Amino acid sequence: MSETVLKVENVSKNYALGKRGVKALSNLNLEVKKGEFIAIMGPSGSGKTTLLNVLGCIDKPTSGKVLLDNIDVANMPESQLYKIRRNKIGFVFQSFNLLPYLNARENVELPMENIGKSKTERNARAKELLAMVGLLGREEHLPQRLSQGEQQRVAIARALANDPAIVLADEPTGNLDIKNKQEIVKLLANLNLKEGTTIIMVTHDGHVAAHTERILFLGDGKINKEKEGMHLAKKNICPFCKGKLQPIDETCPSCGKTVRFKKKASPEKDKGETSSDKQ
Amino acid sequence: MGVVNRAFRNISRRKIRALLVIIALGFSLAILVSIPAGIVANQNATQSLTGNLSNAISQSEANLNSTITQTEATINQSLKEIDCSLTPTAPSGFGFTRGSGSGSSGGNGFTGSFGGGNFTPGQFSGGFGGGFTAGQFGSGAFGGGSGSPMNETYYADISNITGVAAVAPVLQVTEGHNVTVAAPFGGFTFNRTEPDYIIEGIQLTSDLISNYHILPTNITTGSNLQAGESGVVLLSENNSAYFGVSVGGTVTILGQNFQVIGIHGTSSVSDVQTLYMNLSDAQALTNNTDYITTLHVFADNAADVSAVASALSSLHPELDVTTSQTRLEQLQNLKSTYQTMLNSTQTNYETQVQAAQTTMNQTNSQAFEEIIVLVAATSLIVLFVMLYTVRERTKEIGTLKAIGFSNGAVMSQFMLEGVLLSVLAGIVAIVIGSVAAPFLTSVLLPHVSSAVNLFGTSSRIIIAGGNPAIDTATSTATVAVSLSPELMLIAFGSAIFLGAIGSLYPAWRAARTRPAEAMRYE
Repeated sequence: MSETVLKVENVSKNYALGKRGVKALSNLNLEVKKGEFIAIMGPSGSGKTTLLNVLGCIDKPTSGKVLLDNIDVANMPESQLYKIRRNKIGFVFQSFNLLPYLNARENVELPMENIGKSKTERNARAKELLAMVGLLGREEHLPQRLSQGEQQRVAIARALANDPAIVLADEPTGNLDIKNKQEIVKLLANLNLKEGTTIIMVTHDGHVAAHTERILFLGDGKINKEKEGMHLAKKNICPFCKGKLQPIDETCPSCGKTVRFKKKASPEKDKGETSSDKQ
Repeated sequence: MGVVNRAFRNISRRKIRALLVIIALGFSLAILVSIPAGIVANQNATQSLTGNLSNAISQSEANLNSTITQTEATINQSLKEIDCSLTPTAPSGFGFTRGSGSGSSGGNGFTGSFGGGNFTPGQFSGGFGGGFTAGQFGSGAFGGGSGSPMNETYYADISNITGVAAVAPVLQVTEGHNVTVAAPFGGFTFNRTEPDYIIEGIQLTSDLISNYHILPTNITTGSNLQAGESGVVLLSENNSAYFGVSVGGTVTILGQNFQVIGIHGTSSVSDVQTLYMNLSDAQALTNNTDYITTLHVFADNAADVSAVASALSSLHPELDVTTSQTRLEQLQNLKSTYQTMLNSTQTNYETQVQAAQTTMNQTNSQAFEEIIVLVAATSLIVLFVMLYTVRERTKEIGTLKAIGFSNGAVMSQFMLEGVLLSVLAGIVAIVIGSVAAPFLTSVLLPHVSSAVNLFGTSSRIIIAGGNPAIDTATSTATVAVSLSPELMLIAFGSAIFLGAIGSLYPAWRAARTRPAEAMRYE
């Protein structure tokens, strides 16, 4: 659990916005260990999305280093970068970004194209992943035939297709209702727990963030504060009676209280903030 | 999930749009391949027209030459012959009555033929389709109205002229029926006599038969007329069919029965409808007792011909006397007239061929311009549609790039989509083109229609009413515009090519889409 999978060193990102430059990130440092589940929070314009884009190799920092699996991807040309995105990173988007004319399985197979996998291999892997996110039997459904929660599951399965080093989720619950939101958070938490997937998630939602291990608070392009998340399932401890929990329990077997999505030690910031500011 | 499959699904996402684009592209490609089809068809038609006319001209030339040669030969053979007839009072007219034939405009239905073959002396002038005014060559012109009938006995003194070896009187009468003919303008109609058969009465003496060519030589069945025979008739093949009798049968002519002794083959236009019988039979039959239409006078020898002719003229100044010498001169004149006509036809032909060539060149340059426009239009349609598609799907493209698609993969995806659109359009184009190519080309190219009429003049020469003229009939050839398998392949090829050209820029734009576009919220 101590292997560093991502290291961000002194990363700055400036945007030219009109005549005035905007400093989206300034000398940001971050280290992510393998198997961590991290939430990034912060007000609008704090650089959350910029950071995620830099980490996901879809935006280049103005300066600094981004080491992904010890490879500096900050200055990599596009001709190689797409391979990093394909093989090392899994993206989960707020609006799912499934291709509407492809069914669930085909969407999951997309990243596995052009990597030398046979059709049967891709097919089998896609089905395995869809089963993992709880969509067994729904592989051939088009996105429009799936609920929003299910669509996001497909997107998560797609992100996992090539066994990425990290999964970057940009407000994965932002477009979901409360029920689906819980489902997705549970899914991500369980993936992290069972499969050891490293997840970095941008969110506005303190409830969602609370279920990660680490919560990073971004402000003015820097990490202002870092806080330990609940991630109760990981600790397997009931926050009420301190009794032992099973990893997937939602209610404590000892005290019968709901242990997930119940804020016990909530982060101070972002209370009551909604996920509407990015629109 | 292949790239092709994906392209198909992308196209079918917007069914109506795809359909409209495919139809538009299909039309433009159909026109694109119809144009070469039209040009090829045009060229073929022009070529066949040119060839036909060229052949017709050489044929005419050959006919003319052979006619002239044969006529000259006949004239040389009959240098001793002098033909006498009364100058007709009405050299051209419509219809005539039995026994008093006036000059008719013969030659109806025989345009374009110079006859040829055996000329019997009495038929000489008819050899040119009767086109020359009767009397010009003496008697015997087809149509029977070659001169006013003259009293045989009145000319009995001719045989006493010094140097005259023989006199062969001939009565020629045409029987026909009236037809009403519409004038080519103004809605007028007039009556005209269409000849059915021509009775030629010949004095059947053994001297005339054996020493002078007064009877047809080309007997196909039966036998020729013999000296002194009466009540028998020698029919032409045409007569035989007209009366419905054959050799040995009996034919009723003007109410009298004759036995068919033989059938003569057609040796020249003049005797196609001519039946031969004894002169006295003919005179009795047509109420022309003692009357004849022509006197063939034969001199003792060729050297005496002009002396005899002048003696004849002084003895009977009312007679139109034609000697072989006169005929030769007339023939020379005729020959040069024909030659002039042929030359002008030739010149006309060359002018027309040149005009056709010019038209073809214009057609080619126009077609070239149209093809350029169509190529541009086709690729522009693909360009705009694909640009629109790329713009519309920016987020999707961004997502593809974010999850690891290379620029090349994205580019080939969109190229394929554009090409697929135009390939589908190519199929539509072949369907449209096979059906509508003739119409499309007739609209788009000059002088391509279902039938071209490039030449106002053919090389046929007709001699009608005594005036040599060039037939104004036209040569036509059908322009068959159709898509050949090669052109269908070209349609497909250009569809692929233009689709690729048109989608090149949109696909490049797509490939350059930033992956961050995936994050855009709409």
